[in-house]
Amino acid sequence: MSPFLHWLEQFSEFVSVPAAWGIFVAGAVIYLISEWRVRFLALVIQYLFVGLLFAGIFDTRPEMALMKIIVGWLIAAALLLSARIRLDTVRTEGRLLTWATNLPFRVLVLLTATAIGYLGSQRFSLPYVSADLGLACLLLVVLAVLFVGTEDEDPTIVGVGVLNLLTALEVFYTAQDPGLMVSGLLVVVSLLVGLATSYLTVAEEVPA
Amino acid sequence: MSVSGPLFIVGTLGALSILLLILRRFTLIVAWVAAAAAAALAVCVSLVPLDQPFDLGPITVTLGEPLSVLGRVAVIEPVDQLPLVLISSIACALFLIAWRVLPRSNFYSSGLAILALQASALMVTQVVYAALFVEIAALLTLLPLHEPIVDREGNSFGGGARGGLQYMVYVTLALPGLMITQLLLEQFAAFPSDQSLLQSATVLLGLSFALLLGAVPFQSWLSAVSTDGSPPAVTYLFTVNLGTVWFLLLAYLETYGWLSRQVAFGQLFTVVGLIMMVAGGVLAASQDRLGRIVGYATLADNGAMFVALGSRQITGLSLSLVMLLARPLSLGLMTLGLDGLRRLGRGDDRAGRLAGAAWQAPWRTLAYVVGGISLAGFPLSLGFASRWGLYRLVSETSVFRAVLALVSSAGVMMGLVSNMRLLLSAPSDMDTGEVLDTPRVPMRRWREDPVVLAIIVALIVGTYVLGLFPQLLSGIAFRMAEGFTFFTQ
Repeated sequence: MSPFLHWLEQFSEFVSVPAAWGIFVAGAVIYLISEWRVRFLALVIQYLFVGLLFAGIFDTRPEMALMKIIVGWLIAAALLLSARIRLDTVRTEGRLLTWATNLPFRVLVLLTATAIGYLGSQRFSLPYVSADLGLACLLLVVLAVLFVGTEDEDPTIVGVGVLNLLTALEVFYTAQDPGLMVSGLLVVVSLLVGLATSYLTVAEEVPA
Repeated sequence: MSVSGPLFIVGTLGALSILLLILRRFTLIVAWVAAAAAAALAVCVSLVPLDQPFDLGPITVTLGEPLSVLGRVAVIEPVDQLPLVLISSIACALFLIAWRVLPRSNFYSSGLAILALQASALMVTQVVYAALFVEIAALLTLLPLHEPIVDREGNSFGGGARGGLQYMVYVTLALPGLMITQLLLEQFAAFPSDQSLLQSATVLLGLSFALLLGAVPFQSWLSAVSTDGSPPAVTYLFTVNLGTVWFLLLAYLETYGWLSRQVAFGQLFTVVGLIMMVAGGVLAASQDRLGRIVGYATLADNGAMFVALGSRQITGLSLSLVMLLARPLSLGLMTLGLDGLRRLGRGDDRAGRLAGAAWQAPWRTLAYVVGGISLAGFPLSLGFASRWGLYRLVSETSVFRAVLALVSSAGVMMGLVSNMRLLLSAPSDMDTGEVLDTPRVPMRRWREDPVVLAIIVALIVGTYVLGLFPQLLSGIAFRMAEGFTFFTQ
């Protein structure tokens, strides 16, 4: 193993738990703040942490982890563009820190979901994956449930929820079977989800 | 150069799909090329023996030759032939129907790409790749599904994107179950004494197919898609996409024989199917939007297929395949009618707002009604023969269940009749406000396209001829059923 790969393996082991929580905090920002420029930044940071997690899974092929980050950033850019088009037809205050509606309720739901995700990971260990990857999977699923379950009016957020679910699946499945075919197809699925979400965000704005 | 069947099919359809995307403004060419490609696939797979090579210029194609990519294998087996022919024939018919309805649409290029992916899902031998191909196909379906309706004057009427969004969510929710099932089955092959692996795989597989087929309580995407989706794309989704999912379910039951041999299998399928039928019937009866009735009638039809499979008899399997064969005609007719009525109402399909529409667009209204009657399984229609067979099959074990299944058909019919009452209301009633409690949409002048009219007439005739002589369809269904042996082992 080359010194770089050895260093990368040790680094990814060290950062996998912080990366799992980093993913969750970035998701929480998307859930609590409704301004899309902030959400875009949070999504970019979330995919950076996702890449760190994948660096541990693809320990001999770091380029795969890099690809996950790049694909995530492409998706974030597509979502930002479609959100911009949507904003052009809807007047907003234009402030950078615009809290989402029903903030106290969201905070309560988020705290409850965090507790469920964390306690769940302590009590039930997911088969086939290490404890830190299991925690990351559970937190991603919690975020997906929050986004899909409580934001069904906003296509962009629902799309982010679907992407989080897919990321959880990718982490869980590729930890078992890190084959190129499955990883490649899952990347294609993620890209298409991003594109479809962008398209639906814009399509919804066509005047009836 | 020798080319395997899967590579030939997927490569040709994929390349044509890209070409049609570039040429999409030439609707006539694009629609006919797409239809010809789908028809060629159907003819090729049905007529050419799998083990016999044939020459196409410099390349020699052997349909039955497996394609291996990084150790993963895709191959056309004899049992895949009829499903491939069926989905490509439906796609061909829908491309021709859409020719006059969807100008400059990406339906044709997306449709060919989706067909390639669904064919791949049928041909690939591992669950995980089939699941991924179905997911990718579902995501591509969203592109034509939410295209705005464009009329001849260039006005566009957009719908919401809720249906596509829900479809994307439910199909993605089904993906983990199918992929993890693969892991569990690999584990079971290593530890055959661990029965808990099989139980987990059964639950996950059942849950995933329930999501993909819109079983209760996951049915909301069916009605959402049919409410705001483009009608031809909705028909494509409910026939080609759902048809592939049905054939995948049958393929899994065939591959993993222990699934259908479990004691609870018949009971589970019957109960789930009856719940779907009753829910579809009751919900359709209470709808005032024409699109939603399409969704709930499809839910009831899916439920009827589950009930037929739950009988654990080869007759039940054949009946479910007859329903699958009949669905494209019924749904095609119904959504062709829905398309016209929605255009007439400037994108709005609420019956109250379309009151009196039958006098302006009689052929579209007739298409909607005849298609609906057939999907509901009303006597003399195309759907009746299979439903009658189902009632007889179910009544052998429980008359109560047969009555429940009958109630479902009645529910769909009630929904149709109550909405038709509004569409057929006389202009004088509308003027005095006797019919409407909501303002009527100011309708446009409507002139039917002669080609669309010819298609409607052909479909209506086809529906009734096949309804009167159902043996034409049941013969094909019995041939298909012979390929699946899980009930006879």
